Parts: sequence; C-alpha cells; structure tokens
Amino acid sequence: MAFCIAVIGKDNAPLYLATSDMEQELQLQYHVHAALDVVEEKCLLGKGAPESKELYLGLLYSTENHKIYGFVTNSRVKFIVVIDSTNVALRENEVRAIFRNLQVLYTDAVCNPFYIPGESLTSKKFDRSVQKLMNGNA
Amino acid sequence: MLIKPTITYAGSCPLFRSLEMQILNAIPLDKCEWRRTFQRPTKQVRLEAQAQQFNVSMLEKYKQGEWSILEHPILHIFVTECNDIDTYKATIKDEIDAWLKLLTSYGVLDWMILLVETLDMRKTKNILPRTTVLDKIRLDFGSKNDDRCISVLNPAKFEQKSTESFRCLVQRIRFLMLTSYNRNIVKYEDLLRSKRERRNLDGWDFRQYFFLQEDLALIFEKLELHTEALIQYDELDALFSQYVVQQTDSFRQPLDAFNGICLNRVDKFEMRSKIRNRSLPCSLLEFRNYLFERQAQLLFTSNDIPEIAKRLLNFLFSTLREVDYIKVECQEGSLACWSFVCALEVLQLCEQAMEPNEVTVQCFQHCAPIWNLAKDKLYELGKLCGLLPGSTPTSEQLHIVVQLSSGIGDDNSTVEQQQHFLLANPQTRERSPNRKPKKSATQQLKEALGSNQAFEKLYLELAELAISTYKHVARLRSARLVGLDLGKFYCIHMNEPHKAVGFFTDLLRELKTENWQMLSSQTLLELANCYRKMGDTLAYTKSCSSISCCVELETLVRTFYFDEFLKSLKNLNTTLSAQSSMENANFCVLEDHFRILDIEVITPKPIIQDDFVVVQLKMESFYPREIVAETIKLCYELETPPALEEVALTTPTTKESSISQLKVSLQLSYKQDNKLHMSTVSCDSPKTKHSVRRTSSTKRKLSPSVHADFSNFVQAENTALQPGVNIIELKAKAMRVGNWQFKQLSLCMSRLEFLSEQLPISPPSFEVSTKPASATLEFKTLIAGIIQPILLHVSGGSFIFPADAKVTLRCSKNLRIRQALKSNDETNNLANDSTFETILQVPLKHFKSFEERCIPLEVLTDMPGRKTTKHHEHHIAISCPWSRTELLIPIEFQPAMEATCRLHTCGTQKFLQVIMKGLEAHLLLKQAMVKCDVSGVKLVDLNPKNQQPIEIYKTLMVTYLYEIQVEPLKTEEELPIVKVHFVIQYASLEQPTIWRNYGCAFDLVDYTTLFKLQGQLEPNELCRLRTVCNMNLKITKIHENPYVDLMYEVLNDQNLWAVCGRSAGVVSMKDVDSHSISLDVMPLSTGFLPMPSIRLSKYTAGGKTKADAHSKVHPFPPGQVYNSTKSLQIHVIASVSADQ
Repeated sequence: MAFCIAVIGKDNAPLYLATSDMEQELQLQYHVHAALDVVEEKCLLGKGAPESKELYLGLLYSTENHKIYGFVTNSRVKFIVVIDSTNVALRENEVRAIFRNLQVLYTDAVCNPFYIPGESLTSKKFDRSVQKLMNGNA
Repeated sequence: MLIKPTITYAGSCPLFRSLEMQILNAIPLDKCEWRRTFQRPTKQVRLEAQAQQFNVSMLEKYKQGEWSILEHPILHIFVTECNDIDTYKATIKDEIDAWLKLLTSYGVLDWMILLVETLDMRKTKNILPRTTVLDKIRLDFGSKNDDRCISVLNPAKFEQKSTESFRCLVQRIRFLMLTSYNRNIVKYEDLLRSKRERRNLDGWDFRQYFFLQEDLALIFEKLELHTEALIQYDELDALFSQYVVQQTDSFRQPLDAFNGICLNRVDKFEMRSKIRNRSLPCSLLEFRNYLFERQAQLLFTSNDIPEIAKRLLNFLFSTLREVDYIKVECQEGSLACWSFVCALEVLQLCEQAMEPNEVTVQCFQHCAPIWNLAKDKLYELGKLCGLLPGSTPTSEQLHIVVQLSSGIGDDNSTVEQQQHFLLANPQTRERSPNRKPKKSATQQLKEALGSNQAFEKLYLELAELAISTYKHVARLRSARLVGLDLGKFYCIHMNEPHKAVGFFTDLLRELKTENWQMLSSQTLLELANCYRKMGDTLAYTKSCSSISCCVELETLVRTFYFDEFLKSLKNLNTTLSAQSSMENANFCVLEDHFRILDIEVITPKPIIQDDFVVVQLKMESFYPREIVAETIKLCYELETPPALEEVALTTPTTKESSISQLKVSLQLSYKQDNKLHMSTVSCDSPKTKHSVRRTSSTKRKLSPSVHADFSNFVQAENTALQPGVNIIELKAKAMRVGNWQFKQLSLCMSRLEFLSEQLPISPPSFEVSTKPASATLEFKTLIAGIIQPILLHVSGGSFIFPADAKVTLRCSKNLRIRQALKSNDETNNLANDSTFETILQVPLKHFKSFEERCIPLEVLTDMPGRKTTKHHEHHIAISCPWSRTELLIPIEFQPAMEATCRLHTCGTQKFLQVIMKGLEAHLLLKQAMVKCDVSGVKLVDLNPKNQQPIEIYKTLMVTYLYEIQVEPLKTEEELPIVKVHFVIQYASLEQPTIWRNYGCAFDLVDYTTLFKLQGQLEPNELCRLRTVCNMNLKITKIHENPYVDLMYEVLNDQNLWAVCGRSAGVVSMKDVDSHSISLDVMPLSTGFLPMPSIRLSKYTAGGKTKADAHSKVHPFPPGQVYNSTKSLQIHVIASVSADQ
C-alpha cells in the first residue's frame, strides 16, 4: 500500500525508515529528505495560527510515481509516507488512517523507558507493526 | 468560435431587422445587475446577443431534452407596429396568440412583445386615445407579466424622442435575458444531472455529454463566472478520469502526435472543433491538453497563475498514468517530449505573468518542481537520443529524433505569442536588453534535440533554474538534490568533475548535518569518484577513508575503498609535499571514522607533577579492517570555570547531569493502617530553568576541524586499531600543575590527521598537582628546666620519599631533644636524662606522598640561674630529605621559676633574703642551700630544718633567709663583692621523683653599714593634730668612709605631715661622728601615722670646677645606710582646739 514510511526526528534526522521496495530505497530516501522542505514550509505557515492543531499536513508533493504525504506531531517529529501514485484507490482518508496508526505505534515505541529520545528507533515490535501498516494489514 | 446568446424575433420581421443592429449594439454597452437564484451573489454582467428569426425547429431539441444551452435561444421577441386597435383585434392578436401558444407548447416562457410606435405624435397630439394597443396587449397577454410587453418609439423615425424609450427597451431585453438564463441554467443543470446519472448504462456517449456540460461552462465564462466555469471543467476532468479507466478502448489508437499544451492559441477552440469532429478521432493527449488549456485560460482570466503551475504537475502525472494504464502505443520518448513542452509552456506563462508584477513566492513554489521536471524529462530524452555530452547519436537515435520532432508538432502560436510578448513586456526588455525574446517551448525542445551542444546548454540552464528557484523558495534540500543530478551530469557526462565537487559537498554537508547516513554515504561515493577523476589524491584519500567507514554500505564496497585508501595513503607522502595545500586540508573528521566511547584517567589521583598520566581511551573503529595509527594524541587544556548553561548545551549526554539537577524526591503515602499505599517520584520544581531539556543529540556540528591547542597531550604511537572497540592507553608526563580537561583527539596516519570535532562524552578532568613537603614543629608555651612535649609535623606533599628517609634535628646549646617515649617503657628510662641528645635523627619509614605524620618529641633545656624573667631563646635546625638547606626554627622557653635576693640590714647585722617566685610551671622545691667560698664570710641558715618539699606555682613565692657574717678584718675594701651561690632542687609535679638542681649566683656589694639614721619626734607621746612637733634626726657615722657631705630629705606625705621650714639640708660629716638635725613637723591627720621618711644621699657640691657647675645628689645603695626610722609610727590624737 505504501512504499515507504519514515519517522524523522525533531532535528530532521531520520529515526526510522522502512521501505517495501529495496531497489527503490535510495530514491525513496531522497524523496523523504526533500519532503522535509515542504514540511518545514507548511509548519512555518501554521505557526501564525496556534489554534490550528492539525497535525496532518496532507500531500507534500508528488512525483511521477509517488505521492508523498506528511504528518507532524506536537513534538515536531515528522512522519512521511510515500505511496504509489498509480494506486488511485487509496483515498486521502486512508492516508490519514495510516498516519493515525503510525502515531499510535510511535507513541508506544517511545514510551519504552529505555528509549532515548532523539535516537533512532530500533524496536523490533515497532518495525513489525510498521511493516504491517505498510502492507496495508494494520 | 463565437459565443453569443441568441434572440429570436417573430411578427413584423422587416421592422425588427431595421432595428436589429441598433439593439444588438446597444446591449453590450452597459452592465446589468444579475439577480441569481438560490441566493447566489448578484453580479454585474455585460451581455452580448445575436438575433435570428424565430424558427420552431430551434425548439425541437429543447422539447426532446437534447438541447444545448449554448444554442438555445434565450429570448423570443414578437414585434409589431400596429397602432390601430381594430387592426390589432383583427389580426395581430391572433398572431401573438398563436406565437405564444407555440412557445408554451415547447415549455418556453422567455418571450417579449415589442410594440414599435411609428405614429407621428405631433399629428395626433390632441387626440388622446382611450385605450392604446399597448394597453390592449397587456390586457390580453401580460396579465401576470406585463413587463414583457413594451412599446418603443421607432428610433428610426424619432431620433430625439426615442432615446429614453429605447434605453428602456434595451434594459428590459437585458433583464429578460438574464431571467431566462436563471431559469434555463437550472433546467440545464437538471438535464446534465440526469444525463450524468446514466453514464454507467450502455451506449452512453462521453463525448456528447462533455459538450453538453462544456456548453454550460462556456455560458458561465460568457457571463464572467470564471470560477463556476472552472468548476464545470473540473467536474468534466474528474469524470474523464473515470471514463478513461472504464472505456480504455476509445483511446487506444497509437499516438503519432504529442503536441504539448499551448496557452497562447490564436483560436482557442481549435481543439474543440477537432474533438467534436467525429471523423477525426482525437487522442487522449489532445483531449487532456484541451481540458488543461481551458482550465488554464479560466485561471488566467481570473488572474490565478500560481494555480496553473500548481495544477500542471498533477495534470502531467495523471495523464501519464492514464496513458500507461490504457497502454497506448507510442513512440519512446514522446511522452517525455510532451511533458517537457507542457512544463516549459506553463513556466513561460508564469514568467510572463510575474515579471511586470511583484514577484510572488507562491508562484515560484510551484515553478521549482516544474523546472526540475523539465530538467529530468530533457535528460531522459537526451539519454534516449544519445545527446548527452560525450556521446554521438547513432543512426537509430537520429531516427528517433526525427520521429519525435515531427510528433511534437509545429508551433501553433509563434507569431501571436511573440507579438504578445513584445507588447506586453516592454519593461522587461528594457531591464535586460541582452535577453532575446523567448523561443516557444516546442522550438526549444526541437533545438535541443537537434544537437548535443544545444542539449547541454538547455539542460544546464534548466538545472540552474531549478536550483535557484528551489533556493529562492527556501527548499534547500530539494535544491541540493537537483544539485546532485547536476553534479552527476558534470562528473559523468561532461567530464568536469571539479564543477561537480561543489554540488556534492554541499549536499554532503546538508545530509551530514541532519544525520542521513545512507544518503550521505552515497554522496561520498560520488565525491570519491569526482576526486579520482580530478586526481586530487588528498581529497580522494579522505573520501575513501570515509567511505570505508560507512557502516550502511556493503562490505564489499567498503573493503574496496579501504584498499584504495591504503594505496593512496602511501602515495600521499610523495604527492603531498609537492602540493601547497590549504592549511587544514589534511584534516579529517574523526567522528566519521571512529567513535569515542570512553576516556578514563587511570593514574590514581592525585597526579603529581612530573609523574606519568595514563589515559585509557575506548574507541570504536569503523574501518572494515585493521589499521595502524602512527600517533594518537589526546590534548588537554587548562580547565576554565565553565558556564553552567554551556555545559548543558554542549555535552550531548547530559542525561545524568540534568537528572541530578532536578530536585526529584520520593514520596510515599501510607494507608490508615500504616501500610504503604503508593510511592511516587516527583519533581518539585518543574518551573525552574533546569527542566528536562533535550539536547540536540543528533545534530552534528560540521564546522571545519579546528586544531585545538596541542601543547599538552597524552599520546600513543603506532597503535593497531581493530574494527570495533579498541582500548588504547595514552601516556604523557604531567608537566604543568593545574586542572586539566581533555579537548580534542587527534589521530595521525601518514599525512592525514583525524581530528575530533567534539568529545562525545563529557570528558573527565584530572588534576596535576604539586605540593611542597613541609616539616614544622608544633608546641605550646615551653618551659625551661623541665621536659616539654613538642610535635614534629611532617607533611609529605608531592615529594616521593625514599624508603630510608630521615629528618635530622639539631639543637642549639643547652637544648636537648629526644623522641617521646612510649608510655610502657617510661619506667626504664624516665630517670635517664641522658637519652636527650643535641642531634636527633627521626626516621620516616614508608613515608608516602601526601602523607602527613606527627612525631612527638621531647625537649629539655637547662634553667640558667639568672634572675631575669626574660625568655630563653633557642633554636632547632631541621634538615629534611627534600631540601638541602636547613630549616632554622626559633624556640623560646620561659623560665620555670625565678630567684631574686635582697640584702637586709638591721643595725650592723646583715641578712640575705632569697625569694623563689613561681612562674609557669608547677614545681616542688627542696634542699635550698647557699654557699660562699670567700673566707671570712659566713652564711648562717635561718630556715627551718628538715622541711617537706614545698610546692610552688605561679604567683606563689617562697622565701629563704640567711644571715651574713663578715669578719671585721675582712672589710669591704678587701672584698668589694661577695659571691653567694644559691642552689635548690626542684622536680616537676608530674615527675616528682626526678630532682634537678637549680642554681643561682648572687653578688653582694656594699654590704657594710656606713651611716645610721635615727629619728625621734617630740613630744614623744602626745602628738596632737595640727600641733607643731619637733623631729630630731641623728646621723651617726659607723664606719669610716669617704663620703663627707650628706644630704637629707624629708619625704612626707602631704596629706599626713606638713614640714615647717626646710625639709632638706646638707650636712658635713667631716671630722664628726654624728650630726643632729631638728625639724618642725605638723601632723595633718589623726591616728597612727607613719613617721615622715628620711632619705640620706651623697652630696657633691657644685661650682668647684666649670664642668661640674651643679650640685649632685647620689643615693646610697641599700646596705650602706641603716635607717631606723623606717616603719615607725606616731600616734596622733585630736587637738584640744579641735574638740571644742
């Protein structure tokens, strides 16, 4: 369902990155990296209005084959999801659902007292769940 | 294609035709307020119209529900110029009736009856007709809507008067047209809805529906409702997307032409007619192009150019997807051509639109990715056609170029666009005079496909534009990624790696800053490739080293680059010396290759100056194989008192420290039965500054390595570093004293120096110290004569003691010293004062640095028999192993007691009084003795025999008395001084068994009585107050002596006695043995008064010699005059007169 799910830390360092397609991994990483530009742009716009608590940033940009969606948590951790743009069946609502689930997973993972904030996420459980989410059986 | 609402006319057609031009021209002259249904906002609309004679066939379609709002006549007008009621009744009424019925039968309600008055009013002005034709018409037809019946003066005949009525007419026509539109649009929308609902049925024709709805859009556009027109197109767009997916067959013909969109078409509906023409099947691209062009036009007219740019990418991508989905056969590269032309077309539009106006960031935001896309597509084409620099197209590729060039099609709008450009942007041209008018997108593409040079030029231009536009909208990451592509182009295709380096390093810096390991290692690979091509050995070595340490890369790659690294490292020595490289060119970032895990100072604290500091460094090597570091240095600097803030920020692992700064407390709450209910940990002061602050642990500083001060460092040489964790011992001599902190780690391999940016762990500080060794003597007030404790305090400091170190103490004269005896051998040696020595050696066995030791000593000094109470000053010289010079310590002793002697006279008898005055010590005294060795002098002991030892202490005095008997023959002339020795034994109270001698020598002088002074007061018994008494003094010479003139003085107390007359006088004792003097004195007080004391002195008269002008008085020493008046008392009674 999704090509790539990435969790980016507060300072834009990747905390977790999973791709379903290993061949495209590099390209996807570049996409995710470039998406941070748009995330920053959107966050900057939203700064003026504090009441806008919308964490879902929507479509950040799209390429010929990919659509890149963004989500930013209150602690400025960014979630980037890259999906296949040929998959017209995937609606925006489903993307939102992915992000919602991802946030739950992320919160669970960082609630681990042994996790040091800002370090990359190595939890196997988290990885398993994200892989599931990526394949659409979450 | 002209779009004008149609108005039909019936009735008197020639009449209408005569008016037609006038009416149609008048309609667009003014705006009309359009009140829209469903409370949509009113709008001022300018209308146009065309006229047509009424024809029933026009309404046929309307009735069947196959009509188009575009062609449907919007208003039907019946014209008549009948002025005569009778004629009206006879013919016209029926005509109108039939016309109206016809209209109603088709469901058309938009009609109007126009009565043109041609009657000459001047002729009939006196006749006022009762009912006019207009009234009649209104009565007959306009019962509900009499506004649809209107009369107008024929403007052809009444030019002056008709103006007003004509204006009314036009106004009414406009109004009725809009009313008609209101009704018809609603109806048309209903029609569309029902048509649309049937779209899943067989035989539904999309194309037909498309034109139906587009007609509505066109009408909206006509009515200046651009947004609503756009909505129609958007709906059609969405519908088309669905349709394409379902009806794949309709577009499956091969793509021969792939013209891009053209936003400056001369005939905007060229494509529409082409699509409509069923004989020419249109391709998917054409259809899409048309849709997008229309949307763009509408957006352009509503001045929303950014939106066009925004929609473009989506349009391109979805179209490409559709082409892909339908599996349309097409020439390879054709779609890239199409995308490229579309992109450039939009970009040109954006440029044109922006240049005269204020530049909007929003537009740039959408343009940047389009530039990038155009660049990518061009690259794709270049690759396909062999246009990349360095390659020459094969004949096949040339064939492709030809096919593509023909497929792109010709420029549709060249002339028009150029003119437009020239006219619209004179300012632009002025601003940049060198700029040529832009070629159209198609032309540019064709040129680029034509030659390698043109391709290269265009590609570089596009890439630069993409980068600069991305940078302009602050999308730096995207800009860097474009840079990556451009860099690759430079490096791989153009063989200009030096140009690529900049792009790669920029990207690398960006990626490293944000810790994108995988991407940065990829970039490193590119960079290494560049450096290799450039022949920059140093940079290449550094890159290879970095690559081999990239954990993300495959082992094979890493080991390959590791070998490369070692190889070029060897070459470096030869090549580097020739290069005058930048100062820090051979610095590498240590963190890329190693990770410092721990730094620990092993040398036990405290570290003494000149000792070795050993530091254990735990470091992880990322190299895939073993590597030998020639030197590893860890420098340290003097610790500066750190600002607290800074520490929190710079040390990445402040977890412990931040926790320790928080006031975290444990709270236990108990149940009523004192069982623990719950325990919590709470932080009491969350509002203070030291709230939990997460440091940017991942954010890495990428400042170029700065060489710290490496004047102090610990180092290890030629260390082999295994992959993984290594433990290395670094060593150095601690040269300088101070608190040191580790600053930077440097690792040298050949010419390369790896410098750490920052020590990751808060490094331990260590202290190098030196402390002088010292020896001091500690004592309280020391008392001479008895054993006194004294402490030798040796503090080792940082001196390293040999095993047999000694401290030698040398005492001054009369001072002896020994080590204090332990209490158990007290009994053996107590009595033995001989254990005291003048030189003592104190061994310091196993004395360690910084040890402090107190050695108890005892000192004893003789008590010299001197009368003075002055302190006895001594000193002890200490020689220590750490010093060559002796240390002289002054010591003062206070005497334990003091002996004084006094000579007393009683007539001619002489007595010696020895007074022992106790001072600081508490002592026992016994066996006091005096000795006199002089013959003829005998001392008689007058003290009681066999006494117990007498205790003496401070302020207590003990007196011994002796009589001195001197043989008369041995007079003073013979023995002017008699030496008397006084000896006494004493013991301190603490050690009452040890008796020591105390001796004191007294010199007796003037021990012979020369004169005797006697005095008497008369009357002897009855001495009354304030009664003058007679005092008789008698001076008798007892012994021959040379003193002739004596002076006597009465020294009376002025309160007690008053002397009448002279109180002093001089008497001469020459040749007389005695002298009597009488004085008058008067008592001033009653009671027992001491007799006025008399003093006798030697007198030397002055004036005999010049030098001795004044008389002189010398007192006698106490032994030479016996004054018997001393301590006599006189009883004075009150006088009689006083009683009265």
